[in-house]
Amino acid sequence: MKKFTYVFLGLMLLLALAACSNGSGGAESDGGNAGNEESGGSETSDTVETGEVDTSVEATGDEDVVLEFWIHQTGEDETNAYIELIDGFNKEHEDIHVNAEVIIDDGASAYSDSINAALVAGNLPDVMAIDGPYLSSFADAGVIQPIDDYVDQETVDQYVDSIIQQGTYQDQLYSLGAMEASVMLYYNKDILEEEGIEPAHSLDEAWSWDELLENSKKLTTEDRYGLNLFMNYGVGEWLTFMGAPLVWSNGGDLISEDGKEVDGYLNSPETLEALNYVKELFAEGVVTESPGEMQFEEGKAALALGGPWIAVSAEEAGINWGMMPYPYKDEKVSPSGSMAYAITTNTENPEEATELMKWMTNEEATIKISEATGMPPAQESAFESMDKFNELPWSVMKEQVIETAHARPSTPAYPVLTDAFAQSFHAAALGEDVESVVEQQVSRVERELKRFNK
Amino acid sequence: MKGNDSSAEKLENERHFHQTAKQPQLKPTPPPRKKGKLKSQAFREAMTGYFFLAPALVLLGVFLLYPMGAAFYYSFTDFYILTPDDVSFIGLENFKYIVEDAQFRQAFWNTVYFSVIVVPVQLSVALGLALLINKKLRFRVFFRTAFFSPVVMSLVVVSILWTFMYNPNEGLINQLLQTVGIPPQPFLTSPDQAMNSIIVMSVWQGAGFQMMIFLAGLQNIPNHLYEAADIDGASSWQKFWHITLPGLRNIALFIFITISIAAFKLLVQPMIMTQGGPLGTTKSLVYHIYETGFNYRDVGYASAMAVVFTVIVLVITIIQRVLIKEERG
Repeated sequence: MKKFTYVFLGLMLLLALAACSNGSGGAESDGGNAGNEESGGSETSDTVETGEVDTSVEATGDEDVVLEFWIHQTGEDETNAYIELIDGFNKEHEDIHVNAEVIIDDGASAYSDSINAALVAGNLPDVMAIDGPYLSSFADAGVIQPIDDYVDQETVDQYVDSIIQQGTYQDQLYSLGAMEASVMLYYNKDILEEEGIEPAHSLDEAWSWDELLENSKKLTTEDRYGLNLFMNYGVGEWLTFMGAPLVWSNGGDLISEDGKEVDGYLNSPETLEALNYVKELFAEGVVTESPGEMQFEEGKAALALGGPWIAVSAEEAGINWGMMPYPYKDEKVSPSGSMAYAITTNTENPEEATELMKWMTNEEATIKISEATGMPPAQESAFESMDKFNELPWSVMKEQVIETAHARPSTPAYPVLTDAFAQSFHAAALGEDVESVVEQQVSRVERELKRFNK
Repeated sequence: MKGNDSSAEKLENERHFHQTAKQPQLKPTPPPRKKGKLKSQAFREAMTGYFFLAPALVLLGVFLLYPMGAAFYYSFTDFYILTPDDVSFIGLENFKYIVEDAQFRQAFWNTVYFSVIVVPVQLSVALGLALLINKKLRFRVFFRTAFFSPVVMSLVVVSILWTFMYNPNEGLINQLLQTVGIPPQPFLTSPDQAMNSIIVMSVWQGAGFQMMIFLAGLQNIPNHLYEAADIDGASSWQKFWHITLPGLRNIALFIFITISIAAFKLLVQPMIMTQGGPLGTTKSLVYHIYETGFNYRDVGYASAMAVVFTVIVLVITIIQRVLIKEERG
């Protein structure tokens, strides 16, 4: 019996330790905020966790308008850039004060869970960051409001087309974004040189589907894949973001333009052909459905269809890399869309709220955020003033964002639609019968659409 | 003096207690105020009782009864998270769709498959470990702690660790397999293997807890039974079959029921390790309900599925209860 006691004592100790580590986690977040108060000027704390942000400009109490503002967090540099911008806004506008709250965006549902909870409880902020393609569902439900009355055409024209396309629902503008995103065909220069394959240096030279398949085959060896599609990100938004341009390039679509019909779009011959092209890539063995985290960076894949963040990790890994435009079939299109801001119907000050949105997405802001995140900016002029985008390899991304970026479908049923497409894409990758999977997914989306097509 | 006082008080309290218990029978509607000191004291005691109960009752009400009631109500509505003010009653529509929903069907059979495999396997592994550890081996305290430690870890952490271990390229398990000449296995990315991989991990994580309970049971079996069996010349197999197992019967049944219910509530492992994939082969019922409610915002339909899920678990529990009773008789 004594031994039993020892075991249990040991366990209690373990439990206590676990509890302590939880406790210190909570304390840290408080410490982060407290530390922030001490640091003056434009300096910001280096640990920002979920919760209210202590910006360095205090409210005086005389402001006519106080705005609640929710921003998402994916990394420290990005959050610090936001805080600097908010401080700037508060300094510039004596009659408006912004209280910002940071919510962790884990790439899964943490951020949208917070929005959902606030929505049901009826305490959404005045302005919030939302993921681009989800805009339609918020707009349709009357959660956010159009901003056409507060934004003039001149301002609208400053943004790249895809950001305005993403922010528009039923011909009304709802959101402005500071960030674009894109998917490039990254390549390992050394490997391509070895195999004697000439990469594309501009949009005009972009590879076609056939070229991608042929070259990937040539680049595949015993211990190396020709291509990486980052299937390790899981079956989620990535597959729609990265994969949908294959459908568009082939003249297909995921859903009708008004976002109300899915039968005849998600299961159209063009869509199926695109999915079967994906199936062929996997069947030829040039790409794997379970790549390692760093497959491209470790030189175990010669090509990679990845987001702007791959440029950052490839650079860190010290490989000799370059980027090409997204491969095409008929029309050249490329992925687009990122987090953007919108005004909720809760706000009593839509004009001031729009002012904040414009501030957070103006040229200066978009450059600052682009530098912090590595994502392309959302204003055309920003591309001109950032040197990096005017020489290879980044010039390719600039060209692509300005000329071929295509926003994801605008439909209130987007959450189900994107999963339907991702499931179909994944089924193609696993070599399943694409037609039957797609039919099943179509009926799923149709049920969801009934809710909105009343 | 103090001791005397308190024991006297205790006696008095007990007397009050008995009187209170009897009083209602004698006088069905006694107005507490007018019944003098004695009655009002009884009333106060009852209030004290409720006062101590209150925290538990409030918590139960707020976090269990209210959500259950709300889910039941929402299951008959089209509650969509984005339009919380526009909820309309749609009768049995949600329940009708459950019958048609291919994903629900797949999730149901996945969950049944998981439970049917996990319950017996985990039960036998736990018993096996308990038997091993009950032997007078060296380092048995170490083993006991080692086998139990996965239980203490958070299931989320364990799931993430095993996801790394199952990785086809860099994963520990595949590295080990390769050293003995077996090619890397797509544990979590192949529709044929994913659920089985999750089962292995779940048994490893869960068995330690049941092992502890079995161990307690084993130590309750009187040693003289084994000694008597030794004298009769029983083999160790006979001893296990005729002494150990019958001695553990009640504990085994308890464990059987708890594992079954826990297995049916499978959520964390597929959520963290596979997101229900590949091709929905690891999507469990609870995960399907979670996704429908939070990712697709369809709280109405998710609630309907939750109601059906509760009924399923209830039926399973009742069946098990009935079987146990029959065995007792």
